[in-house]
Amino acid sequence: MTAAYVALEGGHVLEGRGRAPGTARGELVFTTAYTGYEESLTDPSYEEQVLAFSYPLIGNYGVREERFESDRVHPRAVIARELTEDVSEWLADESVPAVDHLDTREVVTDIRDGGAMKCGIAVGEDVTPEDALEELEACKGMSDHTEIGEQVSVDEPVVHGEDNDGETVALVDCGAKGSIVSSLVERNATVHVLPHDSSVETVAEIDPDVLFISNGPGDPANYEQAVGLVEEFVEDTPVAGICLGQQVVARALGGSTEKMAFGHRGVNQPVLDLESGQVVMTTQNHGYTVAEPGEHLEVSQINVNDDTPEGLDGTEYDVLTRQYHPEANPGPQDTFDFFDDVLAMGETSPRAVPADD
Amino acid sequence: MSTDHQSEGDVTGEERTILLIGSGPIQIGQAAEFDYSGAQACRALQEEGARVVLVNSNPATIMTDPEMADRVYIEPITTEAISEIIAEENPDGVIAGLGGQTGLNVTAELAEEGVLEEYDVEIMGTPLETIYATEDRDLFRQRMEKIGQPVPASTTISLDEDEAVSEMTEADLEDRVQAAVDEVGGLPVIARTTYTLGGSGSGVVHEFDELLRRVRKGLRLSRNSEVLITESIAGWVEYEYEVMRDADDSCIIICNMENIDPMGIHTGESTVVTPSQIVPDEGHQEMRTAALDVIRELGIQGGCNIQFAWHDDGTPGGEYRVVEVNPRVSRSSALASKATGYPIARVTAKVALGKRLHEIDNEITGETTAAFEPAIDYVVTKVPRWPKDKFDDVDFELTTAMKSTGEAMAIGRTFEESLLKSLRSTEYDPDVDWDDVTDEELEDHYLERPSPDRPYAMFEAYERGYTTEEVVELTGIFEWYAERYHRVAKSMRAAQDGDFTEAAIAGHTNTSIAATTGSTVDTVETDVPGRTYKQVDTCAGEFEAETPYYYSARKSEFDKGPLVGDAAAGELEVDRDVESIIVVGGGPIRIGQGVEFDYCSVHAVRALRELGIDAHVVNNNPETVSTDYDTSDGLFFEPITAEEVADVAEAADADGVMIQFGGQTSVNIGEPLHDEIERRGLDCDVMGTSVEAMDLAEDRDRFNALMDELDIAQPDGGTATSKEEALELAHDIGYPVLVRPSYVLGGRAMEVVHDDEELERYIEEAVRVAPDKPILVDEFLADAVELDVDAVADGRSVLIGGIMEHVESAGVHSGDSACMIPPRSLDEETLERVREVTEDIASALKTRGLMNVQLAVKDGEVYVLEANPRSSRTVPFVSKATGVPIAKLAAKVMAGETLESLGVDEQIPEHTSIKEVVLPFDRLPGSDPRLGPEMKSTGEVMGTASEFGTAYWKAQQASSNAVSDGTAVVDFDIDGFEDHFEVATFDDVPQAIREGKVDFVVSRDRDSLEMAVEEEIPYLSTEASAKAYVEGLEAADGNLEVETISDRPKRTARWGTGE
Repeated sequence: MTAAYVALEGGHVLEGRGRAPGTARGELVFTTAYTGYEESLTDPSYEEQVLAFSYPLIGNYGVREERFESDRVHPRAVIARELTEDVSEWLADESVPAVDHLDTREVVTDIRDGGAMKCGIAVGEDVTPEDALEELEACKGMSDHTEIGEQVSVDEPVVHGEDNDGETVALVDCGAKGSIVSSLVERNATVHVLPHDSSVETVAEIDPDVLFISNGPGDPANYEQAVGLVEEFVEDTPVAGICLGQQVVARALGGSTEKMAFGHRGVNQPVLDLESGQVVMTTQNHGYTVAEPGEHLEVSQINVNDDTPEGLDGTEYDVLTRQYHPEANPGPQDTFDFFDDVLAMGETSPRAVPADD
Repeated sequence: MSTDHQSEGDVTGEERTILLIGSGPIQIGQAAEFDYSGAQACRALQEEGARVVLVNSNPATIMTDPEMADRVYIEPITTEAISEIIAEENPDGVIAGLGGQTGLNVTAELAEEGVLEEYDVEIMGTPLETIYATEDRDLFRQRMEKIGQPVPASTTISLDEDEAVSEMTEADLEDRVQAAVDEVGGLPVIARTTYTLGGSGSGVVHEFDELLRRVRKGLRLSRNSEVLITESIAGWVEYEYEVMRDADDSCIIICNMENIDPMGIHTGESTVVTPSQIVPDEGHQEMRTAALDVIRELGIQGGCNIQFAWHDDGTPGGEYRVVEVNPRVSRSSALASKATGYPIARVTAKVALGKRLHEIDNEITGETTAAFEPAIDYVVTKVPRWPKDKFDDVDFELTTAMKSTGEAMAIGRTFEESLLKSLRSTEYDPDVDWDDVTDEELEDHYLERPSPDRPYAMFEAYERGYTTEEVVELTGIFEWYAERYHRVAKSMRAAQDGDFTEAAIAGHTNTSIAATTGSTVDTVETDVPGRTYKQVDTCAGEFEAETPYYYSARKSEFDKGPLVGDAAAGELEVDRDVESIIVVGGGPIRIGQGVEFDYCSVHAVRALRELGIDAHVVNNNPETVSTDYDTSDGLFFEPITAEEVADVAEAADADGVMIQFGGQTSVNIGEPLHDEIERRGLDCDVMGTSVEAMDLAEDRDRFNALMDELDIAQPDGGTATSKEEALELAHDIGYPVLVRPSYVLGGRAMEVVHDDEELERYIEEAVRVAPDKPILVDEFLADAVELDVDAVADGRSVLIGGIMEHVESAGVHSGDSACMIPPRSLDEETLERVREVTEDIASALKTRGLMNVQLAVKDGEVYVLEANPRSSRTVPFVSKATGVPIAKLAAKVMAGETLESLGVDEQIPEHTSIKEVVLPFDRLPGSDPRLGPEMKSTGEVMGTASEFGTAYWKAQQASSNAVSDGTAVVDFDIDGFEDHFEVATFDDVPQAIREGKVDFVVSRDRDSLEMAVEEEIPYLSTEASAKAYVEGLEAADGNLEVETISDRPKRTARWGTGE
């Protein structure tokens, strides 16, 4: 059997069963979703992280490309109580180390109590606990990955739904999930997926009906160019954002963001719409959150568990953002109408909206 | 937190009176789950300041405890009785969705009869139209089509109002059935009657003639004269989604449940896993969205359940059909609640009052609200428990109709662990010697044909070298699951070869590994990973949980040897420093061991907590109050074995274990638990009456000797270990004699035999007598009056809870006999002797806690039939009739109190209470419906009134056996029926019954009775019950005497003392 070691911040080393070889390091986070492992593993927001599944059995219904959210596995390594052959072979092919037969419930409660932590992993025939500790030693914090946008964004603009005759969306790719693009394209939009550091000119040339900031990994402070784009266009162009996109928009409009203890990752996060009083279930994957929305934005939706902002509306500009993932995949489909609302913003020319709308 | 978002409006229950209707007796298809949901709802409503009026006919429930609601009525669940309660209590609203199909039906009838309108009673939560829309299949289809949800092709065969099935010509019926079959795409089809419990009378039908027969019967039985014919989607995977919705349209899924057995087997009969394992996220989310859309369309408020069929059609998400909606809390809701920690009944009750989900706290985490979807980080498996051992004549092939009486649930970190724990929890042992089963029989009878034995047959198949492909082909069970059965089988093979680790991780106990491999527990224990405890927290660890709800799990292979201290305790948050006691529960509901033992367990827990002692529960029945998250200080969802209970005792550092309250299940672990505690050197006692005394009471020869010593009469009898010995004994005693195997529950395989031939047949066919399996041969006391006594002893004095007189005479199992309290045919002298005998036995057995004595009185002599120093099934009935909580007193006495210090008096009720049983024959085609020495009843009801006749009649009403006019067949020589019925004779009684010419049968003729069962008409099978029934009929038109149990008069007096 292949040996496997997981070194946790503080130096504690766990022994497990190696399922895919290699060494890796990253911030250790957990998701509580029990389905959707293919979608999660291909979600670019997990870049530079080690993903632990709190659900013990992962890989039960195989691996199919149709269910991928991007073209590769993003977590640096994967931890579960039990991985099936299908999923471990896939991870091995992708050179992503994987470990199982660990007490993942203990790992999860450690993260809950101690916050998202650095970890190092070593899997292979001859690896030792020291190998894992060495990885841990070299592990950086999430906010220190200043160039993370480069790793997950497209290099060149890519257009989807070219033949559609609906709105034109400029999607700033900070690590966008495929389902965001397809949700827009399905609604007849033409989506220009742009590198995260695109210039104002690039966007201006597209002259989009909506400027859309995607989800992505890490600290929104590391996406200065995207922040700049929002600042530049918000007065004339409706702006939307998902997840990191919401944080980028908030930073652009005078708000602030902060790191959470261990974030929200799962498919059961309850969100209350403050206007309707309705609660919906959402998919989330974020370790940072909007602390203060700033004077140009108001909080329209909050997390029922911890009151963190889940939706922001512009008070004077056309802005609509979500901290959660309305595109689902994985997770509940309760909030697909967000995309309708976003595109509706783009239909009309900029409104002169009263602040209390 | 959530309090920030409280709505402004008044959504509390303050000053509102709410009527809660229970589900009546335990029956197949409706077990203890509604006691759990009703009890939880009572608490929830009272928390909101509502005044709760509760009615249920089942005395064995926690919900009918006087302190559970403001007003508690144990009355028949009939519109007549409930109308009187409504007139008396003037409720503002009634919650219909918490009392199962029974509660729902009676609420619908109350509305139809105009009672609710007359008294201005609002139906709270889900509206009636919704209930109709879900129960009328055509209406349901239309609603589903309207919102674009796919349903299986389906059509209804129904009668017009002026039509009767008996008047239809055969050709007419055939035409209609053929048209229906064509409409859904041909045979096979599923035929289903609407408005029935647990899918009674429904099933996959392959033959046209069979279908005709079913339709004819269904049309007659259905409340709305309808039979539904549906496209068979046999082979698809069946899912259930538990949904919760509030009045503001917030709507969540509590969990989904995946049936391992493919579509075509009732979900109550299927092995069920939570959460789903094999459906991809996209398929799951599609069904989740469909569930929400459907529930919104129907306007359901509170908890409900929706069933889907799904298969992998090659698309990323697969394909599904909406099968049906249960617009109420159900058995599945109980399972979902226990599987996730989400209190569905509690939230349903609050939603019915108008609260919104995010305004209701999640008591388990203490920091989240009810507006969330539980995240699970374990695997839950439910396995049903069937009464296979009680009904030799019944075919236990699993179908769309339920036959199981109860279920066990287990939690593990892997499917294998969860499955094996669950199978173990059912305490079912297939009566099969696999060595005698050929491959062909294994395939045809055990793998292809779904039965209670199938999981074991799958292990056997793998043992024989079958491949997963073959097993999947034969069983239709999804490959992922079959593979894991294979792993279990492989792990046992490895254990045989000396590697115990895999078997332990797969979920076997050290004890069973040692037993199968010929090793010792000490050896196995040091070689395998130990168990530690994990929390069930609703959130997969995301939040710190406050409520102590636990399951055990083995560590993985990197941790060998037993865990001690903190490592063993894992996530336990129990206080190891205070005095704590474990109450061992009763496991799944089965015949002979029903909800009454959960009642006893819960009372024991409450009594201990009243004394300031921490009380932990070990149990595995998801339907019960004892496994509710706030019943105990520590809830351990575990199989009940000595090893696993000792693990809990060790991890929680408990001071004692109580095994008296959980029926035979808990009593059976007494001795091994005692030994295991000693082996580990734990400072923990098996409390109350000693294991040794319990054993003495069950050992026939030692008990006989003791009775002789005490000068207490017993029927002549003895133990035989061979046929010759049995015959010799029978000759000595003289026929008829009562024969039974020793050490059995609920009189299994007990019979009265009248001659050598019958005795020999009994020995050859019914039991295999052997030196290690002796049988008991006893004098049969014909025409004796039988008694039950429940008492509590503390070593110094004895408190008699009540003396009950059986309505049935000797020869009918005490658990199947109607009985009354107080007795009416005994003189003072006899009662005094009964007391004396009870006290003498209690003292001789050094009883600490409960004791049940069964006695027979013949010609003035009091005989002891049996004495059991533990809780009995009559304990709750006695407590409800007398108001004396004997189970609580017993627990307190066991914990060291004395009866004197507790200051309680015996109470003798002025009214007569009748306990009547409910029998499952309608669910078990082919079973013998005659009462006899073998117990067959599943549940009980109670009727109370100032006179015997009225009380008996109320009990008949409550057990749906009351009929007071029409045509009767009376085979016994008993007068009185002719005053109420047209008493008729027929050449062919069964045929007459089938033709609908008979309304009531009083007979011992098996064919007539089986037909009565099939046609669902009331019947009696014994002379004693017939005589009592005549008295009941005389009182049938009188006042019902509806009254709360607390208001019924009692006097403080000691039983059998003339005081």
